[in-house]
Amino acid sequence: MDASEVEFLAEKETVKIIPNFSLDKIYLIGGDLGPFNPGLPVDVPVWLALNLKQRQKCRIVPPAWMDVDKLEEMRDLERKEDTFTPVPSPYYMELTKLLLNYASDNIPKADEIRTLVKDIWDTRIAKLRLSADSFISQLEAHAKLDNLTLMEINTIRAFLLDSLNCMYKLRSNQQPGSSKGQFTDF
Amino acid sequence: MPCERKPMRYGHSEGHTEVCFDDSGKYIVTCGNDGDVRIWEGLDDDEPKFITVGEKAYSLALKNNKLVTASSNNTVQIHTFPDGDPDGILTRFTTNATHVTFNSSGSRVAAGSSDFMVKVVEVSDSSQQKTLRGHEAPVLSVTFDPKDDFLASASCDGSVVVWNIKEQSQLISLPLLQKTNDISNAKSLCRLAWQPVTAKLLAVPVESKVQLYERGSWDHVSTLSDDLLTQLINVVVWSPCGKFLAAGSVGGSLTVWDVNSKLCVERQKHEKGFTVCDLAWHPSGSQIAYTDTEGCLGLLDGLRTSTSNTTNTATKAAGTKPGKDYDALFDDDDDDRVMDEGLSDTNSPVKKPVTGDDEDDDDFLMPATGRVRNRVAILDDENSLDTGSLKLGQDKFGDDDDTGSGIVPAAAPLVPLRPAYEGPMPTLPQKAFQPGSTPAHLTHRFMIWNSVGIVRDYNDDQDNAIDVEFHDTAVHHAMHLTNTLGHTVADLSQEAVLLACPGTDELASKLQCLHFSSWDTNKEWMVDLPQGEDVRALCLGQGWAAVATSALMIRIFSIGGVQKEIFSLPGNVVCMVAHGEQLLIVYHRAPGFDGEQALGVQLLQFGRRKRQLIHGEPLPLSHRSYLSWFGFTAEGTPSYVDSEGVVRMLNRSVGNTWTPVCNTRETCKSKSDHYWVVGIHENPQQLRCIPCKGSRYPPTLPRPAVAILPFKLPLCQTSTEKGQMEEQFCRSVLFSNHFSFLSSSGYEIDEDAQSQSQKNQQELLMKMFALSCKLEREFRCVELAELMTQNVVTLAIRYASRSRRMALAQRLSEIALEKANLIQEEMPEEEEEQDYSSVRRPSGSGQSEAAQGRQSSRRYQEEEEEQEEEQREEEEGQEMEMDEASETKKRMNPFAKDAVSPVKITLTPTNKVGRANPFKVLGSGKPSSASSQPRVTNILDNMTASRKLSPLSGPAGKQNKNPVLKPLAPRPKTKTQSTLLQMSGTKASNKKTQVNTLPAADTHKQPEAPPPASPADNTENKRPKTGFQFWLEENRKSITADHPDHEETDIIKEAMGRFRTLSTEERLSWTERAKNGDTADLKKRKRAEGGAEGAETEKGQAEADENSAKKKKSLDPSSKLSAFAFNKN
Repeated sequence: MDASEVEFLAEKETVKIIPNFSLDKIYLIGGDLGPFNPGLPVDVPVWLALNLKQRQKCRIVPPAWMDVDKLEEMRDLERKEDTFTPVPSPYYMELTKLLLNYASDNIPKADEIRTLVKDIWDTRIAKLRLSADSFISQLEAHAKLDNLTLMEINTIRAFLLDSLNCMYKLRSNQQPGSSKGQFTDF
Repeated sequence: MPCERKPMRYGHSEGHTEVCFDDSGKYIVTCGNDGDVRIWEGLDDDEPKFITVGEKAYSLALKNNKLVTASSNNTVQIHTFPDGDPDGILTRFTTNATHVTFNSSGSRVAAGSSDFMVKVVEVSDSSQQKTLRGHEAPVLSVTFDPKDDFLASASCDGSVVVWNIKEQSQLISLPLLQKTNDISNAKSLCRLAWQPVTAKLLAVPVESKVQLYERGSWDHVSTLSDDLLTQLINVVVWSPCGKFLAAGSVGGSLTVWDVNSKLCVERQKHEKGFTVCDLAWHPSGSQIAYTDTEGCLGLLDGLRTSTSNTTNTATKAAGTKPGKDYDALFDDDDDDRVMDEGLSDTNSPVKKPVTGDDEDDDDFLMPATGRVRNRVAILDDENSLDTGSLKLGQDKFGDDDDTGSGIVPAAAPLVPLRPAYEGPMPTLPQKAFQPGSTPAHLTHRFMIWNSVGIVRDYNDDQDNAIDVEFHDTAVHHAMHLTNTLGHTVADLSQEAVLLACPGTDELASKLQCLHFSSWDTNKEWMVDLPQGEDVRALCLGQGWAAVATSALMIRIFSIGGVQKEIFSLPGNVVCMVAHGEQLLIVYHRAPGFDGEQALGVQLLQFGRRKRQLIHGEPLPLSHRSYLSWFGFTAEGTPSYVDSEGVVRMLNRSVGNTWTPVCNTRETCKSKSDHYWVVGIHENPQQLRCIPCKGSRYPPTLPRPAVAILPFKLPLCQTSTEKGQMEEQFCRSVLFSNHFSFLSSSGYEIDEDAQSQSQKNQQELLMKMFALSCKLEREFRCVELAELMTQNVVTLAIRYASRSRRMALAQRLSEIALEKANLIQEEMPEEEEEQDYSSVRRPSGSGQSEAAQGRQSSRRYQEEEEEQEEEQREEEEGQEMEMDEASETKKRMNPFAKDAVSPVKITLTPTNKVGRANPFKVLGSGKPSSASSQPRVTNILDNMTASRKLSPLSGPAGKQNKNPVLKPLAPRPKTKTQSTLLQMSGTKASNKKTQVNTLPAADTHKQPEAPPPASPADNTENKRPKTGFQFWLEENRKSITADHPDHEETDIIKEAMGRFRTLSTEERLSWTERAKNGDTADLKKRKRAEGGAEGAETEKGQAEADENSAKKKKSLDPSSKLSAFAFNKN
């Protein structure tokens, strides 16, 4: 899975916008959207919100968790705990990226939020690496990781699977007299 | 001792707040529940410096540039002043300190704590502490003896103790107070105060009096009290000179006594009546700062105490003081007191209670000298209400006299100041405001936030600018204006921005209009108001603007700047709002008393016929609240919000009463949270507001987001299922009132929504019916059934019979019969109406002018009958159905009246000419189920019904001809969707509506209800034959040949087009033919139709699903009922 695909999935999340136009309900395969009343908040998928924003048809209301105080709290908790803490949104990284890239003027303290989310992300990826490391070094067969987001799994997947495959190959070759080893000799 | 009470301002978050002045008197220093100490350079300082001392600050004291605070971390800290650098911890307690105070030299600090201890600490060396133990409950307050020997403290154990500091021993303990277990439970804070300078007296607030104890002997020497002061006194402070004592009470009274004469010299009331929790006297003695438990800071200015020893000549007399106060209450613009004396005197409370008691009181209180002139003044005062001419001179005389006496307290008989009046006190009338604006003193504020957009005002040091922003950018792009004129009020509509500034000495008050929708190049106009007249409120309607001025005038301008109307208002305006053609004005009817506002409301309607709909009736408000928002719903119903958060809406169906529809405070999480309402929509039911944390209005930044609250009528027992459904039903009925209003005033309405709400109502009724059935409340069932439409009653009957309630079913069937009879009566009348009119049609259509004349005369009759809006609506619906083809066209383009006018002109007389013909009623076969008994009454009913009905064609005609048939702003839906599919959709729903609202045509129209029946046929059947129809019959074949694939409606359209191309003579001849051949034809037609009816009904039933079957029940109800009755027997 590609990061852009994950981002694509994230665009299905809803976000509140304040439109500056008037439009009746629109009926889409994914569900009905609207009605859009100027000045009245309405929930729309991120893809539509960004599209409207780029056409200057709306203001985006940042999600409740996209707030400096709350993120700081979350970051501190993330740093304190050894395990993964629950994240505000399963697509927090993608949403932050998307919204801050296209609608930073509607989000107060955008830079601080960017830094905080990056901090949280870094902390979590570091934890993930650590746990992957201990997973391999302790020769565990399985491990359970809670509260991981799709994007995080995605970043480690390619590396982890490849390396596990390699390890497996190396280990299975190491053992002398194993059937596989002999087989290759043929 | 006249003083001016400055308006309160927000200082800290809610809770105990303390205040003091710095040594120079330059700064006011406050501390509060938010843990900040704020340093204000004056009451108007908008950005005070602040020092954060902890999570909460309980008390503060300031001397020698050292700021001592008691904070929530159980310490007493020092900060430098005014820099605010921490300067160490003075002492600690095991719980928080409750009160800290300096001694007179500033060398020591005393602190009382909730851990029952009092500590005295040297400021220079905090290790030198003296602890005073002995209280058995938290210490309320402490005060130093100015000579530094003693210390007095009050505690929750009910005692006031005087300590010897050196020996750390109790000198005396006085059990004066009520015992409580904690500060938070104490009724009064009991802040003691020791007389400065002489140190002779210790003031102890005991309930509503202040007891004075003498130093040394500790004897109770005197008591200060005031008749008007009935609440507990919270805090007392001495003036710096030691001659006056000020007290603040739980109920918000501020009282100042002259200690020598023991007379009250000043009496003020907190503007909202909150508890005063601290007072501080300015070092010069001319001001008192006070704070309340809501965190607000106030100031009394202009006290003249310190100068009291120097004789004062040309100052304001003590005698005028109450007059001035109240004068200020009533009219804050009058600076010229002397000129205004007549007014102020009549307003003064001294005069109001003209009772014998007062006189006695006065006499009793009059000091030994008993000055005659004063007495004269008093007597005169008593008469002043009726003797106007004499009064002025006399009063001046008395005033002069008091000038001297008021200053020298010992000799001063402050007699006129003793208003022994104990009745309700007038409240400060609320100032004029613009709904949807934030207070004018803010540097960044909303001038208005309404459904169109936002106007913001930035008033910095650098620039003064106005930003106009539209919610819908399609209206206009955002605007940025420099505010050189200093505009303070604004309104915004789809057409223009209206701004106004108050006048100054040189410049007149100006009104500026940015008419951005104007099609010429001049987009702006400006008007100067006459000198001395200020704009107080303004609003924009559709095509006009209204301005209320300080001269109690309403001026109406056209949107282009033409002065159109001017009229006077009975009182000072509070606010003004407009919507379409409606103008609503709220003003002060009279002074309110005891915190209430007495507001009156006028609702005017402009347009073709100007009239007043609400004639200055009182506006209901919650107790002790004021108006905080007024506006129209998007659908045009006036509604408002008071400061208690109750939203009320005009109920036009119950004689213009006001119904509470929501209490926004119920949804608030904390006491200090509020909702700032920006708009109300009836369909869908939305209350749009901005949640404000800890304030009444939002800041401009960060940009507040609108939230939506649901409505909830405060009915009883809404937790039960029954209550819930009743609430829903009432709400639905209330919120669908606007349909009838809109249609009666010529606006188009959303029929879909209307039929939807009616359907909902009927469903709710049915549910309530089922619930009552379950609860065995049969009487209630019947009551509910009376509200139902006839179709739903039949359902109810079925329900009742199925649940084996025969008695109920029996009664219901009676109701159903009644309803059916009603229908039967109306139906033949309708038919006959048609017959009648068809005979007379040619004359009607030929002389459409005459018809119009008749119509307009009818319109006047109709105006009176406001109660019958419902029926009007029915009539409307009926007519809508009748000219469906034209109607749909009309909906698409409401302005293209010409296109449809031929049809309409022939139609309008149809209803109008219709008059009851009792013979015809008897003649047309009545269903057998109807007994002969009702038939007799029928004739009478019929007549009244027809009388009712006949004027109703007025509005219908009016609607057609009304030139202001403009769609309301938020109604794009019907306009955008004009496909054929949609048309038939609306038609179907239209019919559904009728099934509900219009049982009249029920049996007759039912068969047509299912969609298969072509609408054109329907129209033909019902509508009396017109020339066009004759022509159509003849030419139908050729049309169908030309357009074989067309549906019926299209054919009709086509035909209409063709018919219109015919010459006038040809058309006339067709009309002639219609006149002759019509009647017979119609009868034939009807019989044929009867046959078809059954078949069609079957089809309709088969098709209709469960839900629509309920609505579209198409069987003749009376026959069904008779069948039912038969079964039962």
